Amino acid sequence: MSKLSIILSSERLDRLYPALILASSAASMGWSSEVFFTFWALLALRKGYEPSKLSSDYSNYSEEFRGKVGTSFPSWREMVRIGREKGLKIYACSTTMDILGVKKEDLEDFVDGIVGAPTFLSKAKNSDIVLFI
Amino acid sequence: MNVLVVDARYQSCPGPLLKLIEAVKEAKEGSIVKILATDPAAPEDIRNWAESVGYKFMDYKMVNGMYEIYVEVR
Repeated sequence: MSKLSIILSSERLDRLYPALILASSAASMGWSSEVFFTFWALLALRKGYEPSKLSSDYSNYSEEFRGKVGTSFPSWREMVRIGREKGLKIYACSTTMDILGVKKEDLEDFVDGIVGAPTFLSKAKNSDIVLFI
Repeated sequence: MNVLVVDARYQSCPGPLLKLIEAVKEAKEGSIVKILATDPAAPEDIRNWAESVGYKFMDYKMVNGMYEIYVEVR
């Protein structure tokens, strides 16, 4: 079985979406698929928070992009939901949680585990594709 | 013959794929899935998906500027 591991370090939509599109597509193709949310990406895993930042370099595309989300392609949460039904795993970085003062109970229910670098490295070691987004 | 229609028009990747996998959850082996799509990447995306999951990619055609893609459930 093919495997995709993604290390996501930003909650910005222009990072979050590529990561989730790839991860959910891989899962839908029967691949083993996982995303490690570290640094600013961890912000997206908090309950009651909706990531909305977009790279300011491309702010002239902001309206177009936001208009397509949920219509032309699914929202990142939908991708997580459907991906997880097919085995996608979502991991939160324990160190980032410590830095940002985020507790386990603050995290969304769809987070499959809180892990550190050695654990994620062990998981990603034999993946066919490993990406840093 | 059981034909399941998945309307993925005006959806871009991964929209058609995610709609397709939701739709085939209850699909019986041997049934045909007809996917309607406008995304130019859809035929190849679905061909690759079918290959990965062991379904049979049958054919696709363009009808009135829209793709009709056929997959057999295995």
